[in-house]
Amino acid sequence: MVKAIQIRKTGGPSVMKWQDIDLPAPGPGEVQIKHTYVGLNYIDCYFRTGLYPLPGLPAIIGMEGAGVVEAVGPGVKFFRKGNRVAYAPIQGAYAQKRNVPADRIVKVPKKVTNKEAAALMLKGTTTEYLIRRTYRVKRGDTVLFHAAAGGVGLIACQWLKHLGATVVGTVGSDAKARLAKRHGCDYPINYNKEDFREAVMDLTNGKGVPVVYDSVGKTTFSKSLECLRPRGVMALFGQSSGPVPKFDPNQLAAKGSLFLTRPSLMAYNATRRELETSANALFDVVSSGAVKIKINQTYPLKDAAQAHRDLEGRKTTGSTVFRV
Amino acid sequence: MTGAMVIHAPGPPEVMNWEDIDIGQPRAGEARVRHTAVGINYLDCYYRSGSYPSPKLPLIVGKEAAGVIEAVADDVIGLSIGDRVVYATGEIGAYVEERNIPVEHLIPLPDDIDEVTAAAATLKGLTAEFLVFRSRDILPGNVVLVHAVAGGVGLILCQWLKNLGAIVIGTVSTDEKAEIARSSGCDYAVVYTRENVVSRVKEFTNGKGVSIVFDSVGKDTFFCSLDCLRPLGLMMCFGQSSGPVPPFDIRDLHTRQGLYLTRASMDVHASSQTRRVEMAGRLFDAIRSKAVTIEINQRYALNEAVLAHKDLEARRTTGSSVLLV
Repeated sequence: MVKAIQIRKTGGPSVMKWQDIDLPAPGPGEVQIKHTYVGLNYIDCYFRTGLYPLPGLPAIIGMEGAGVVEAVGPGVKFFRKGNRVAYAPIQGAYAQKRNVPADRIVKVPKKVTNKEAAALMLKGTTTEYLIRRTYRVKRGDTVLFHAAAGGVGLIACQWLKHLGATVVGTVGSDAKARLAKRHGCDYPINYNKEDFREAVMDLTNGKGVPVVYDSVGKTTFSKSLECLRPRGVMALFGQSSGPVPKFDPNQLAAKGSLFLTRPSLMAYNATRRELETSANALFDVVSSGAVKIKINQTYPLKDAAQAHRDLEGRKTTGSTVFRV
Repeated sequence: MTGAMVIHAPGPPEVMNWEDIDIGQPRAGEARVRHTAVGINYLDCYYRSGSYPSPKLPLIVGKEAAGVIEAVADDVIGLSIGDRVVYATGEIGAYVEERNIPVEHLIPLPDDIDEVTAAAATLKGLTAEFLVFRSRDILPGNVVLVHAVAGGVGLILCQWLKNLGAIVIGTVSTDEKAEIARSSGCDYAVVYTRENVVSRVKEFTNGKGVSIVFDSVGKDTFFCSLDCLRPLGLMMCFGQSSGPVPPFDIRDLHTRQGLYLTRASMDVHASSQTRRVEMAGRLFDAIRSKAVTIEINQRYALNEAVLAHKDLEARRTTGSSVLLV
């Protein structure tokens, strides 16, 4: 028996219960991980409330974790007991131990702690595919990144600077503007005070940017298209302000043969090779110190309900992890 | 006076009337071109029918033509009377015997490219050029889908893509067109009037789908095209022969695994004379090396444009069509 945070019905934070669950031995191709840290992400709240559908109930939420391999199932080649490993995204992380497919986990290098790995895997590999693959950011590019002071945003600002890009980032307050700036955002724009399209056009001499990264959606989408130069890429990777209304493809022609994409981590890290390349690139920039992660809250896993209350009450800053 | 196909109100092909018009002398920056051949494009039907708003009435449609320079304005340098030229950008109005046009649109013709070929190939060829060379790199072995592959742009695209080593699946409406597509190198022609395009594409690609879809059909094929793409694939819209794609939910790109959508337009790609000459140079090279052969399968007199439009809209044509002057 192991302890886990289980949900029997969707709803508020109190639907999460610390309970004993049965954990079978790892099956073929699986490893059993004893978690040391589990990451907290806003998407966990969406699954808890039922906004995003869970495959069934009872359910265990949580997309990312780090720990130590405790046992390996038949046919597993590259992992053995004692390896330090991490993963994302695989639903079911709010547990002391779990079984996961071996081809979806990666080894954590010496210079990266389990705590960092648990906080970084989801947001860090998301940043990786966005800035290296959805559009390959090059030295000298000026890019627009919305929600620059958010979880992905702060990682992206640092990594983009490391790649030699100039970062224009939107934020919701002056405090967040300072935070983004400390993380490498060259031009933080407080969207409550300033028009980000005008700022982008000023900074690029009216040319526009080759890529906009937008996880805000409804409130930023249309104006973001106006920030792009011809043949620029609109990467819509979230919708924190709500879904974008139905879209007329001809707008892409009118605004200069633009490219629109709605990427997902699943699509980019679908194969073992992609996952390894992505995680290694992330671990490299973390090991070198180019990207630092600020973990400002650590809760025991059994207090997941409190962590969700604090996250939804906007009482947290930076990243949050659970200690297991 | 010059003969022209003039439209007084948008509508069916019959709204085009053969009339004499007065074009006057070339103004500053213009040359007068006596057309020898005028290209026919689906775009012409959109303007004629009113599905694209007409800039003015009466209206003369036609985007491209080739011919010989007959007069130039005093300030024009670099082009002279007797030069052979082609154009495929600028304001519409090519269904005429001669017209004045800003010289920035004129592309000089090399000696070995005849005017009929140029008039048939330039707009479609420049379109194919930016679709193939200025969006996503085509790598040998890439599997792509070209809708309306037996059409004017389709056959050029197909040959150019094959030349780069791509594997081309095409859609056509009849078995006869499938044969034409295959003779232009199309690896697998799907007859969409009796076959399920998505199933056939999935079968041919072992369930994976294609990297890029080239779609000039629009409304009727949009979701079919998305369903044919592999994760991270590119949906390249460049026309809408079946009507405009209605607004769609962007999450449809997400659920199909990170697809890209673009709507390419000539205006962006052929934005300067330098670019146009460069693009045309690549097209002429491809014609010269026989990487691309322009199939001119329909020829009409300029004053038979009504019949030409009827044939095009009834999907009776293959390859390119021209109006001879």
